[in-house]
Amino acid sequence: MVTRAAVLGLMSMLVAGVAVSADPEPAGKASIWGVWLGTNNLPNPDPRYRPTPWPAVELTAWGAAESKRLTTPETPDQCMPYGPMAHMSATSLFPLEVVKNAKGILMMFEPSSVPRRIYTDGRKHPEELDPTWLGDSIGHWEGDTLVVDTVGTNGRGRPLNGYVAGAVYSKTDTAPRLPVSDQLHMVERLRVVGGGEYLEDEITVTDLKTYTRSFTVKHYWQRRDDLDVLEYVCADNPRSADEGHTGSSR
Amino acid sequence: MSVLSKFVSPLAALAVASSAWSHHSFAMFDLDKEVTLEGVVKDLQWANPHVWLEVDVPDAKGGTTKWSFEMGTTGMLTRAGWKSSTLKPNDKVKVVANPLRSGERSGRLVTVTLPDGRVLGPGGPAPLPPNPAA
Repeated sequence: MVTRAAVLGLMSMLVAGVAVSADPEPAGKASIWGVWLGTNNLPNPDPRYRPTPWPAVELTAWGAAESKRLTTPETPDQCMPYGPMAHMSATSLFPLEVVKNAKGILMMFEPSSVPRRIYTDGRKHPEELDPTWLGDSIGHWEGDTLVVDTVGTNGRGRPLNGYVAGAVYSKTDTAPRLPVSDQLHMVERLRVVGGGEYLEDEITVTDLKTYTRSFTVKHYWQRRDDLDVLEYVCADNPRSADEGHTGSSR
Repeated sequence: MSVLSKFVSPLAALAVASSAWSHHSFAMFDLDKEVTLEGVVKDLQWANPHVWLEVDVPDAKGGTTKWSFEMGTTGMLTRAGWKSSTLKPNDKVKVVANPLRSGERSGRLVTVTLPDGRVLGPGGPAPLPPNPAA
């Protein structure tokens, strides 16, 4: 039975312009809250839940030039935030904590100083977006799947497949970087799979300044509530920032 | 326009996994070469973006030469069993490292043997869960 209070509450929300997600967020084993560790290169996870390889992509002229620029050992902006794609890279080096807050979801990735904020309170992207490192993310639930739409990045985040530069890691690593631009549009479909043990993120990347067409990859994390996301202050040791790696004392 | 194919083989991806998501390039280190050095801890710099270990290594002239070794983040090392107190000044250690290509006395730490015989690494992917999922 619908109570008078419920009707009044719904009416007040509609008057206030607050949209409500079509579906409630999943709970229990299907819940996305907690600590997750990317399965990229971890030996133990179920092979069904490892990231898909980057697909063959066609770079625009700008994208090709940017890829070439990034394929160097130089490492500027070492302590800057990662950008949304790298934030969701599913690396096994650092855990990702997903937390519910009053306006939506916080995703805290250990090595990035900036949490990712996904608003699920019904808002739309602003008409005019000031560019930011992580962009503007809005989300809603479709059944057990969290759909997240991200635009408004500043294009300075790390490339899709590695660090912002320093692409030459060894004699065997000659992989070109996959850059991102300020035209990045990410659509993600996040859901818990594998009996509650894995978080799947199907990411469709549209960045027509960099790539001639959209492409989709899947990343996976393993539920790891035994891990804590630890403090990371990148500017803490001036040695690396100011003295490089010469081995001189600080 | 240029076309990139699936350019990272699984093995290659595994080989560079740690460095690919590290704070910076490891191109300055000769990853194909290892040096083994024994000496006395001068300082363990427990800070980010990287933890550094400084070791005084005896030289041929009867003195010591300071070597510096770079490791992962404090979080990585914590998950690998380190504490900020794991090494103290004057502890005797043996270090295996990838040296700098420049020839300077510095390198990427591969392993360090502690005074109690334990061998620790430089941090990397988090360890497996206590009870791996079936």
